[in-house]
Amino acid sequence: MVAEKVKAMLAEKLDMPVEEITEESKFSDLGLDSLDIAEMLMNLEEEFGVTLEADATMTTVGALVARLEQMGK
Amino acid sequence: MLASPICEMLGIDYPVLQGGMAWISDGKLAAAVSEGGGLGIISAMNAEAGYLREQIRIARTLTDRPFGVNIMLMSPHADAMAAAVVEEGVPVVTTGAGSPVKYMEAWKKAGICVLPVVASVASAKMAARAGADALIAEGQESGGHIGELTTMALVPQVCDAVEIPVLAAGGIADGRSMAAALRLGACRIQMGTRLLVAKECGVHQNYKDMVLRASDISTVTTGRRFGGNTCRCIKNQFTRDFLRVEYEPGTTAEDVANLGAGALRRAAVEGDTREGCVLAGQISGMVKEEMPAAQIVREVCTECEALLGRSGQWVK
Repeated sequence: MVAEKVKAMLAEKLDMPVEEITEESKFSDLGLDSLDIAEMLMNLEEEFGVTLEADATMTTVGALVARLEQMGK
Repeated sequence: MLASPICEMLGIDYPVLQGGMAWISDGKLAAAVSEGGGLGIISAMNAEAGYLREQIRIARTLTDRPFGVNIMLMSPHADAMAAAVVEEGVPVVTTGAGSPVKYMEAWKKAGICVLPVVASVASAKMAARAGADALIAEGQESGGHIGELTTMALVPQVCDAVEIPVLAAGGIADGRSMAAALRLGACRIQMGTRLLVAKECGVHQNYKDMVLRASDISTVTTGRRFGGNTCRCIKNQFTRDFLRVEYEPGTTAEDVANLGAGALRRAAVEGDTREGCVLAGQISGMVKEEMPAAQIVREVCTECEALLGRSGQWVK
């Protein structure tokens, strides 16, 4: 559920087919820089009602999803 | 009321020029801006002179007010365009992508007010020396082809370097940015992106929607690696593909020049905002509403006027 929401949000932001975004996708391969990631985190905070910090180890869609799931989302 | 000598020179009410945006600034948009009291500009782009004459006729059926034409000097049809503006009695010409010096004599003889777009002090000095009536100093916040300097850094340096009036462009979308530009020494402003979403603008709705949805960090520049061809556009599949190829080791300057061919038309006319190039400025994130061009011009100027009137608050 979280993974689907994150992928859908990214697909909309990037105007890409959602199938092209997998949990293995690296943010850098999707063309997202640190500013894009910060913007995405702010949007996710609003969507899920959580507080997310940018973290250098969180480089893939899967890692972000895992972080949100840890937060009980 | 904002007063600018250039308004009298051009016969307009508000010191606002509309940017010449290829595939976007047509006769209808130019007429709407001029009817709103600013100065509308038709983009001659890469088309043949017949296209320009047709757009001039369309504008003239919609307004009796003056409007101008933007001539892209790199266009293969630049000579024909330069002659067409004289024959059609266009009162104002803005120029981009090169030096207008070879046309200056004919334009001055015809009484045309010539406003070259410049992105550096040296090009400003050259254009002034060639007889330009005023200059448009365009910072890299703008959409489309850009230089390196920001509006904040460029405008005062150009103002210091030339004796003729300077207009500011790039990053201006509301009264605050207009007031800032006037404080930097500009006598008036040019807006592109904000007028791109005017109701009268005929660009494809998908293009407008992309600008309306944009955030502060939605734009990116392509073509920077080899210089001279830098473009600001909204990030999409086109920019991701472009940038990947641009920075591949074997890529040449010529490869990069060819990458963008036809991409603006694809987005602006066909509405393919995925594979097409959506040129827009950094202020896209501030542009949230489609409204008539006249309302945009009026709102920006009214807000600017109020802010300038209150600027004494900063001085004790």
